[in-house]
Amino acid sequence: MCSKTKSSEALKVVVRCRPINRKEDAAGYDRIVSMDVKLGQVTIRNPRANHGELPKTFTFDAVYDANSKQADLYDETVRPLIDSVLQGFNGTIFAYGQTGTGKTYTMQGLWVETDKKGVIPNSFDHIFTHISRSQNQQYLVRASYLEIYQEEIRDLLCKDQTKKLELKENPESGVYIKDLSSFVTKNVKEIEHVMNLGNQARSVACTNMNEYSSRSHTIFVITIECSELGVDGEEHIRVGKLNLVDLAGSERQSKTGANGERPKEASKINLSLSALGNVISALVDGRSTHIPYRDSKLTRLLQDSLGGNAKTIMVATMGPASHHYDETLSTLRFANRAKNIKNKPRVNEDPKDTLLREFQEEIARLKAQLEKRGMLSKKRRRNSRRKKSVDGDNVPEMEAEEDNEENLIEKNVGNYLKEQAERLEQEKAAIQDDHSLMADEKLKLIEEKEKMMEDLTKEQKATELLAVKFKVIL
Amino acid sequence: MDDNWDLVCDTYQRALTASDVESKSDPENEPYRSKYRARELLREVRALLGPEEDDEAARLGVVEFRLGVNHTETEEMSAGEEHLVKAARLLERCRLSHDCVSVYIQAENNLGILWADRGEIIIAQTYLESAESLYCQYMKKIGKPPLDPDEHFTTEEQRLTEQERAKRFEKVYTHTLYYLAQVYKHLKQDEKAAQYCHTTLQRQLEYDGYNPVEWAINAATLSQYYLGKQCYMEARHCLSAANVILSKAGQIPSPEAAKETDEAEQERLDHLSQKKAEIARCWVKYCLNLLADARKKLEDNIGELDADLQEELKAERKKQEDEKEKGRKKAVLFGSSDVYDSILAVEEKVDCSLPLDFKEAREVFLVGQNYINEAKEYFQLDGHVTDHIEVIQDHSALFKILAFFEEDYERRCKMHKRRVDMLEPLCKELNPQYYLLVCRQLQFELADTYYEMMDLKVAIGNKLDELDSHTIKKINSLVQAAIKFYEMFLDSLRSPDKKFPEKLEEDVVRPALVAKFHIARLYGKLITTDAKKQLENMQTSLSYYTFLVDYCAENEEAIKSVETELELTKEMVALLPARMERLRIQVSSFS
Repeated sequence: MCSKTKSSEALKVVVRCRPINRKEDAAGYDRIVSMDVKLGQVTIRNPRANHGELPKTFTFDAVYDANSKQADLYDETVRPLIDSVLQGFNGTIFAYGQTGTGKTYTMQGLWVETDKKGVIPNSFDHIFTHISRSQNQQYLVRASYLEIYQEEIRDLLCKDQTKKLELKENPESGVYIKDLSSFVTKNVKEIEHVMNLGNQARSVACTNMNEYSSRSHTIFVITIECSELGVDGEEHIRVGKLNLVDLAGSERQSKTGANGERPKEASKINLSLSALGNVISALVDGRSTHIPYRDSKLTRLLQDSLGGNAKTIMVATMGPASHHYDETLSTLRFANRAKNIKNKPRVNEDPKDTLLREFQEEIARLKAQLEKRGMLSKKRRRNSRRKKSVDGDNVPEMEAEEDNEENLIEKNVGNYLKEQAERLEQEKAAIQDDHSLMADEKLKLIEEKEKMMEDLTKEQKATELLAVKFKVIL
Repeated sequence: MDDNWDLVCDTYQRALTASDVESKSDPENEPYRSKYRARELLREVRALLGPEEDDEAARLGVVEFRLGVNHTETEEMSAGEEHLVKAARLLERCRLSHDCVSVYIQAENNLGILWADRGEIIIAQTYLESAESLYCQYMKKIGKPPLDPDEHFTTEEQRLTEQERAKRFEKVYTHTLYYLAQVYKHLKQDEKAAQYCHTTLQRQLEYDGYNPVEWAINAATLSQYYLGKQCYMEARHCLSAANVILSKAGQIPSPEAAKETDEAEQERLDHLSQKKAEIARCWVKYCLNLLADARKKLEDNIGELDADLQEELKAERKKQEDEKEKGRKKAVLFGSSDVYDSILAVEEKVDCSLPLDFKEAREVFLVGQNYINEAKEYFQLDGHVTDHIEVIQDHSALFKILAFFEEDYERRCKMHKRRVDMLEPLCKELNPQYYLLVCRQLQFELADTYYEMMDLKVAIGNKLDELDSHTIKKINSLVQAAIKFYEMFLDSLRSPDKKFPEKLEEDVVRPALVAKFHIARLYGKLITTDAKKQLENMQTSLSYYTFLVDYCAENEEAIKSVETELELTKEMVALLPARMERLRIQVSSFS
């Protein structure tokens, strides 16, 4: 179940379970969630299970149980990501979970108590502490805050809240939101202020916070620019971007029957013909086709977080008690699916048949050359024996060279053949002087020839084998 | 009509209003207030109707049906089922009658939905298929547009026209088919699901209840399903219909004319031109797949056009022409007479059988290229980076396949040059921080393209008596360019501290190893008269081959992805040193 977690360092999925609360305790709800922190496993038991229904186990990059501290999560999981953002990479942290499972506690925590600070205040501290300690580097930190509600983007820092913003892409800066405002912040206090402004705008806009918040996504974006004088004496600028994403939860969606919007489930039938497009596009398999439906705004906005060199963390929060079994299971399933997010465009690489054929020829040619060499040297040996000459393998091989590719060199070689012969005679004399070397050389040559003969017999087989393989590739 | 009857009708109508109109403004904390009110009213109606007598069976059936729907809408599934089953029981005997057929089918539709919600898809299928066959039976035996359920509670003068009745009844059946499409999808019977989607689209067109833009996009999407199944006739029909129906949605004016209109109109036009570009991209895929399938059929075991096969396929195609005509008659075709001719006119612009020679392939290519240009008009680089690049990649792919059909090497080479010309500027312009994966794709494709060009130049050179210096220069520069882009690709895999990963990610194992393999090969291809240089190149080549062998020795799971390459590489690693040794002796003998 967990084999895929190791493969993508770029995406980490962690799960956190809050302690059972007093209300749940008083109501006598069972604990249905257990965690194995070492193995990173969560096990959930169905309280209404029939006999024989086994508990379900999920494995994640890390799990944090009721005893975990805010600092545990931050230091183990978040800190490396913030570090890489400071180095100029993109990073994204998703938070997902039913209301009341500690999502806000995990992300925000209690701002005033040091050990209860959540991911967001900790990362603010982290960023500005890093900046204050740095030397020879200039930093510019900007913050934006936006919300996606029913596929419409709103700027939470803009006075005009009715304006719908547009998603665009630029070759140099990637996906961006046109006209999204951003504020330069110089310290923790200022960036906190920006976040508060956005939070206020959000709460003003909605009459029923719970209903609304369970269906809107918010993203707090921190852009960190760093300029540094390089060794080349020039100014170098790196830009890192951190997205803090609060995903809409899954709860209460089933109570929206009046709008006909229900959470997608495997076998449900969509009643409205307006969803015909979804039905059709689900039939299209991805290979070399185009599906003319836009991805969701959220997916597009975070597309460089889900692939490439960006780092992404997904924190799923849940409660341990039995009365939320369905929601907890659905959170776990969502998190489990997130592990396998593969939004990556793959490198198109089709096996090149001509190339392989050419290789086959090349190898055959090389072998043929060596074969000739082997055969000739045999002939030579007979002569040599008569002449009582020990060696000479290297000379005739050159004479026998007929290969096209060698022609260019060959022409030059021709002029020098005489000189070479003389040189070799001298070398021969030198070799004869050193008997041990000669013995070694001879042994090697014999070995080589034996191998060549072996290769020759194999060659036919190899060629056949390759031919079969080409067919397979095609 | 007595007072009691008026009261019944009035109560029923109030129930409908509460359920369909008032419920929309229910507060969030009481989402079903009006639905509950409608339920009470329906119960009153039922009480007023009295016992289950034969003449009341139909009306009682309608009330039970409404109550069933009401309960399912308020998430009370069991109660909903009870009412719906009761409705079906009451109406069973008269289900084929003019009065009851519509409500009976609707009850079965709703039972289908209910059981699908419960995850019992087979039961859902049974209900829906029963509804489907009842419709067919009714149309065959009676055919007269039946009563709408709500008409059971109206006065004579409020009765609907035949036309309105037909419209409503057909809509009910369209939904039956639409639900069945989903059921078949869940049952993984994709072919059937597609067929039902197709029929749903066809019926929308026939009974005029659709949004043209939405319809066109859906038809274009369906074409993409057909592409996967290699049903080119159907795919072409869907795409042609998409073009025709989209153009009905409004003449798409030139940007100059658009400037003068107001903002909302501007938005609408922008939306339209986006959809037009989307459909164009579906057409591009049509052309690409058609060409690619043709290539697959025509190529021999080393990827070249096989002339014998070509003749064979041409003969075969001739034989099948008649059968095709028959196939066309069997297929579900879109449209009433008015759009039918326009659709046919679009279809005639491109063939739907596999192109078997250069001339035919070129025609498909040109159609594809036209749609590329249409798509590019909307999906410009600035603003739509990802889409724009995908369009350009398709353009490059079109050229690549066309080159397969081209016999002349020089012209083939020029086609690849066109690919380089469109890909290289993109590669330069993109910031790899945001488009890393796209950059990799482009780098790899560029490298491959240069490689292909080099191959062709070598082949051209081999036909000459002697390689002239111009050709040598050309080959060498192509080799260098190919190496450059393979290296760029490989560099993109390096970690932030510039180290090449010891273990490659699963999705780049093959491309990365193939890049190494190709680079090794390319160094062996460099032509030089300087034996020392040649020796150096061979050494470099060997080091790349060795990398591949070593990597696979360390990471055995990589072997299966490069099996053939690895085998060849091992041979090269064994053979190259001997060859280098010889060369070394030559070199030393010169000095």
